[in-house]
Amino acid sequence: MDNTLTLLLQGFAQVLQPVNLMFLTIGIVLGLLVAVLPGLTLVMGVVLALPFTYSMDVTPAIILLTAMYVSGTYAGAWTSILFRVPGEPIDVPLLWDGYPMARKGEAAQALGWTLISAFFGGMVAATTMVLLAQPVAKIALSFSSPEYFAIIFFGLASVVSLGSGNLANALISLFAGILLATVGVDDTYGAHRFTFGVPILADGIDYLVVMVGAYGLGEVFMRMEQGFKSPQLDKVSDIRTRLPSLSEALAIKGTFIRGGLVGIFIGIVPGAGATVASFLSYGIEGQYGKRRHQMGTGIPEGIVAPQTAATASVGGALIPLVTMGIPGSGATAIILGAFLLHGLQPGPQVFQTSSHIIYALFASVFVGIIVMCLIGYFATKFMVKVLDLPEVIVSAYVVMCCLLGAFAARNNLTDVWLMVIFGIVGYLFERFRFPITPMVLGVILGPLAETNFMTTMISFSNDWTVLFTRPVASAIMCVAIITLIWPLFRYLRQQQRSAK
Amino acid sequence: MAPYVLVGTAGAFLYYTATQIDFQRRTGVLGPDYWPRLILGLLLVVCLYEIVRIALAKNPLNETTPPESAASDEVAMQAPQDNQVWRLLAGMAATLAYVALVATTGFFLTTAVYIAAFLIIGGYKKRKVIAAMSLGGALLLMFIFMKLVYVSLPIGSGPFAQFTILLMKLMGIR
Repeated sequence: MDNTLTLLLQGFAQVLQPVNLMFLTIGIVLGLLVAVLPGLTLVMGVVLALPFTYSMDVTPAIILLTAMYVSGTYAGAWTSILFRVPGEPIDVPLLWDGYPMARKGEAAQALGWTLISAFFGGMVAATTMVLLAQPVAKIALSFSSPEYFAIIFFGLASVVSLGSGNLANALISLFAGILLATVGVDDTYGAHRFTFGVPILADGIDYLVVMVGAYGLGEVFMRMEQGFKSPQLDKVSDIRTRLPSLSEALAIKGTFIRGGLVGIFIGIVPGAGATVASFLSYGIEGQYGKRRHQMGTGIPEGIVAPQTAATASVGGALIPLVTMGIPGSGATAIILGAFLLHGLQPGPQVFQTSSHIIYALFASVFVGIIVMCLIGYFATKFMVKVLDLPEVIVSAYVVMCCLLGAFAARNNLTDVWLMVIFGIVGYLFERFRFPITPMVLGVILGPLAETNFMTTMISFSNDWTVLFTRPVASAIMCVAIITLIWPLFRYLRQQQRSAK
Repeated sequence: MAPYVLVGTAGAFLYYTATQIDFQRRTGVLGPDYWPRLILGLLLVVCLYEIVRIALAKNPLNETTPPESAASDEVAMQAPQDNQVWRLLAGMAATLAYVALVATTGFFLTTAVYIAAFLIIGGYKKRKVIAAMSLGGALLLMFIFMKLVYVSLPIGSGPFAQFTILLMKLMGIR
């Protein structure tokens, strides 16, 4: 414990160095802007920022991206509450009570509730992350390939089952992603898989190219087809933030605690993210909260539950990333990409080899939340002005960042071609209602899944039952199968009902 | 149903390709074809299930009202009335042209033209803003990526390369 505290204090010392603090502030501001703009999502923002970190040292690069990730879960609440324009899907539940509060003339209070929810959720999750990281890493050191495969399988199962919409489409998207990850020269045999004689494909398809194309360019194409219609904004005369008193906050402490726990748990589960946390937390509050019957009428609980969970999910999602090298969400996949670009492989060993970087990352979450709340308190009025920018101009620069991001990764135009192709694929996915997230997580987790599956098969003489005979692997596999079977069962029952 | 047929056909082709992967098989060890075939097999099962489900739902002997999701699949395939497909196609074409030309005409010129084209295709009409955004934006991106992030952006060939090098000198980029 003393060691953890010492390392964390050293992390704070690193983050508070002027250069790192500057990048943290830039990251927070960029994350807030990305969250405010309806065309840009949090993941897209982190993706677009990645190429700017290529020439940076690893610590400021990680700090910048993490800061964006933290603040990206917060600022969309402003536009949801004030203008009924959710910056991204995370913020949709905030509409349901935040906007009615604003219509009742309580916009300042609603913004205040958002701010303390983000602060509470972020701080609780960051503390949990620091406390759990070392013990989880120690446990992970004892894991072998069956356990790793089980964890990844659980992540893949949850991304399919927790996503909304058609289950079959989610599965197809996931399988497409896993298949994309198999393109290239196989590590064990050196065999060419799906390269079709194209030399560049022998190196495989970089998941960053898929992410930038599908999330960034695909979304721009979608909005282009809709003619870049900017939302009509309500007139708001005075944008202020009024913090609730301590007694007001304590009156709904159960909501804060529930939201925080949901956020941390959902964050830890690979495949789920801030959006799932936000919706789930609102749903739980609607079922178990003291004032559940008033949800949706403009009460603070309807803001606190989703916002606390959304920000808390950040700390949760960083735990599997740093302890096992498994990114649980799109944003953490980019942060993993930044680690790898600088020659650092997150995992249990990283606490021995590069603990100073990991604790700088942890410290940056704490400092980032404080800076984010200060900016949120004083600068909401100025930040929402960004909505006045014509969407087409923002989109033009988003596309440029996508093109440059794809090129800069390997200084190769073929990657840009691939990115544009995945942009078109991303558009088609959106158009035909295939979710993009399973494909992206399939590309990211696919190689890990295959390596661990094949290692398990080689080590245990092709006996797949080992996944169900080793206690830890077996428990995780069972949870994963239930995670997958439950929505499948619900889906089939729904199909049967609609057929009657 | 069309997307599932398309994905299923592609899946079947890839499955066949996976069976043709060239490698030296080792006794008792799974080959590099095993994992992709496993995934493709699962993909084909899902596609087949959806195709059969939609086909049965459409059969008037089986039911009169199509299931909700089948109906929504059809809706998804029809272009909404207010969509501007020409804008999308022009945007895609401009993006593909950008990638095709950037190695020849260099980053600055191609980017400036592309941003201007993108804004026009996107329906933006203020000419002065378009000029400022395209020229200023291309210069700014070039400066950030070449001077600060040290990315070697395409300078083009022939006279375009000379022009880019001149610009780089003016901006202090080596």
